Amino acid sequence: MRFWSLLLAVVRCVNCPERRATVFNGYSRGVPDRSLGQANPARVLLARSTLRVLVSFLLLWSFASAQNGTPAPRPDDEFSFMQRLADKGFHDIENESWNAYGQFTYISSWKPSFDAPYTNLNGSINSLLPTAERSFTGTATLYLGVRLWRGAEGYLVPELISERPFSQLRGLGGAIQNFELQKTGGETPQLYRSRIFIKQTFALGGKSVVEESGPLQLGTHYDSRRIVLVAGNFSILDFFDTNAFDVDPRDGFLGLGFMTYGAYDFASDARGYSYGGVAQFFWDDWAVRVGRITPPKEPNQLPVDFRLFKYYGDQMEAEHKHKIRGQEGMVRVLAFRNREDMGRFSDAIAAFEANPNENAATCTGFNYGSQNADAPDLCWARKSNVKKGIGGFAEQYIGHDIGVFGRAMYADGQTEVDAYTSDDRSATVGLLAKGSSWSRPKDVVGIGTNAGWISSMHAKYLGMGGVDGFVGDGAITAASERSLDLFYSAHFRAVYWLTGDYQHITNPGFNSARGPVNVFTVRIHGQF
Amino acid sequence: MASFESHRRCVRALLAGFVLLSFWPSLADAQEQADGFAIERLYQSAPGAGWFVMDDLDISGRLGGAISLTSGYARNPLVITGPDGKQKLAVVSEEAFVDFGAAITHDRFRGYIDFPVPLVLSGASGTVGGYQFTAPSLSFGTSPDTVSDPRVGFDIRLLGEPGGLLRLGAGAQLIFPNGNRADYVTDDKYRAMFRFLAAGDAGKFTYAGQLGVHVRTLNDAPVPGSPNGSEFLYGISGGRRFAGSNGWTFVAGPEIFGETAFHAFFSGETGTEALLTGRLEHTFTSRNLRIKLGVGHALVQDFGAAQWRVVFGVEVFGHK
Repeated sequence: MRFWSLLLAVVRCVNCPERRATVFNGYSRGVPDRSLGQANPARVLLARSTLRVLVSFLLLWSFASAQNGTPAPRPDDEFSFMQRLADKGFHDIENESWNAYGQFTYISSWKPSFDAPYTNLNGSINSLLPTAERSFTGTATLYLGVRLWRGAEGYLVPELISERPFSQLRGLGGAIQNFELQKTGGETPQLYRSRIFIKQTFALGGKSVVEESGPLQLGTHYDSRRIVLVAGNFSILDFFDTNAFDVDPRDGFLGLGFMTYGAYDFASDARGYSYGGVAQFFWDDWAVRVGRITPPKEPNQLPVDFRLFKYYGDQMEAEHKHKIRGQEGMVRVLAFRNREDMGRFSDAIAAFEANPNENAATCTGFNYGSQNADAPDLCWARKSNVKKGIGGFAEQYIGHDIGVFGRAMYADGQTEVDAYTSDDRSATVGLLAKGSSWSRPKDVVGIGTNAGWISSMHAKYLGMGGVDGFVGDGAITAASERSLDLFYSAHFRAVYWLTGDYQHITNPGFNSARGPVNVFTVRIHGQF
Repeated sequence: MASFESHRRCVRALLAGFVLLSFWPSLADAQEQADGFAIERLYQSAPGAGWFVMDDLDISGRLGGAISLTSGYARNPLVITGPDGKQKLAVVSEEAFVDFGAAITHDRFRGYIDFPVPLVLSGASGTVGGYQFTAPSLSFGTSPDTVSDPRVGFDIRLLGEPGGLLRLGAGAQLIFPNGNRADYVTDDKYRAMFRFLAAGDAGKFTYAGQLGVHVRTLNDAPVPGSPNGSEFLYGISGGRRFAGSNGWTFVAGPEIFGETAFHAFFSGETGTEALLTGRLEHTFTSRNLRIKLGVGHALVQDFGAAQWRVVFGVEVFGHK
């Protein structure tokens, strides 16, 4: 109820004159004196109407929204170690030669028991368990940046994680309830190097653009026209399909489907990181980027295949920033093409139908451990295959500190999941608002819905008892997997955020015979 | 009655003998499995500290800092010799790493962090002296993001000034366990180091030295080659400075360093290496660059001292 009260307050205060300027971090850059609060009555009416339509749409359709794992910039008025050094005169935060930021996040989720007529049928292993379970993640990250030479920045990010997923992370596609969960790891804290890369910027002129100091970003000025080359080890989401409204995902939506397109099976290791290169071309409000990155040696595993000319993930994205009635927005189109050692569903089915001895229980190569002797398995079909997809993203401010966003992607749906989720098609929509309307400008509230579909061949394969990555109940009544995510992040004591989150997941694992599932989550996040 | 008792004793003895005989082959073949540990013995000094292992204690000024990248390759850092002195097993025959460090300095104080990243660890498995050794098999492809035993440290220059004849200092490091023992990258236990440091400059010559304690709780004795509790650290270095143009300087000289377990003080469980180092430094600006290369050989190839090694490092450092 509190959420809805707050949401109504947001609607009422779309044009409150006392609102502070700028909410979402990204749009405060370079335009600190911009006031979004002086809208005319027509705009207010339009914004209110749009908001109401959107809320109705969300309630009626239960669709979803998205963000990603890249940290957000740190606003000037937010406490940080670097800001403190700058305040003491020890550090030039606007033209940094180095910086260091950190964060820690603890997320605890609980799901009560839910209805399921069957679980792990016939030796399949990928069902979400219908019993009540608790899951958690704890992460701590250090972001180190240094200016190496003219135009060059180097970044190193060690990270610590401890985790316990629901049902060993099995049984959900893009609706996994916590984006911090990794496909490897355990409860014993493990330190790893998440990123190490070099970024080289070549100035091409145009206006001077301020980049504020933050994690993975030295405080500096760039030309609005520039070429940026990146090489090393990173998350492709550091550059492609970046956070909606620059809201740090650790302050925002918790569901994995909100990080990026659920169907964007970007090449990465089991933690979500890749090696490779990215080239970006910025021309004022336009940006185009291309990247080639490493896939895992085997689907969803940690070892990386460095043969970048044999197996790779390619992606290309075009981006345009705009204003509609004075409100900023952005549109992106992203396409990917992966060539990886992975199996096609049709090939696995054909192999099984030609020879039933080639089933999930008799795999001689890598598989996920299914003992279903009556099911096909992708292990019999892995070879060099191609997966493709194309998607679009849009975000738009509809008022001061309020924005809506959506993304959708269509992938070919012929091959197994190699790195992200089993979604073949995905769509998300969401609304994010900061709390300046109720005098808590650093609070964040959001509502969003996320849906993922699988192709008919994918459904046939799962229906025959096959497993794909982390889904496969042994049987299926195919349907779209959907989640509704509501959260409120309250800021307190300068560096902490406490979040309450509720997710309602229907058709877990694309199977309407099971569920729905309710997930309740509490998150504590601190950054310095 | 007596004859029944003696008969029973006889049967018991026979049974015991039979049982013993039946187990004899497995008892004779029983081998203890040797576990891995942190094989790396190049205990690097802080980023910006000049030498690879020693510390030049050149800490001064207002807020300053350093970042470093060090990479190295070691050949045969763990070779186990059999009781007959002839059998040799290179449990770890190749080891390569890259190390990232960052330091903050202020006045006479330095705090730093260091993240070692193992790139390659491999060797040969086998049995020596009744112990089964399983070689590591780690490569960058299989472990693309492993960080092994990161450390945080703190150094202080206690006496003397930068450029002076004698500087004295102290340092402490806390080493956090991370990684798998089977990969020979960690003890899987916390470790600490406390070092007493000395350094100085005399005209074109520069030197440094250290004595210290490596607090190591892992004691796998009597497994040959394995840690035997806490260790005594020692080292000395000296070099000559050759001035170049435009602020460039070249420093060349040896570093000799090693350790010995307190439980067997300089009596077997001791390893000592010598490293011939060359440093190309560009200093006298607020932002300085140092490129280092070291080539070394074991003086006492035992206890983790590599047969030979090559180390390369780059440091950027400076202060306001």
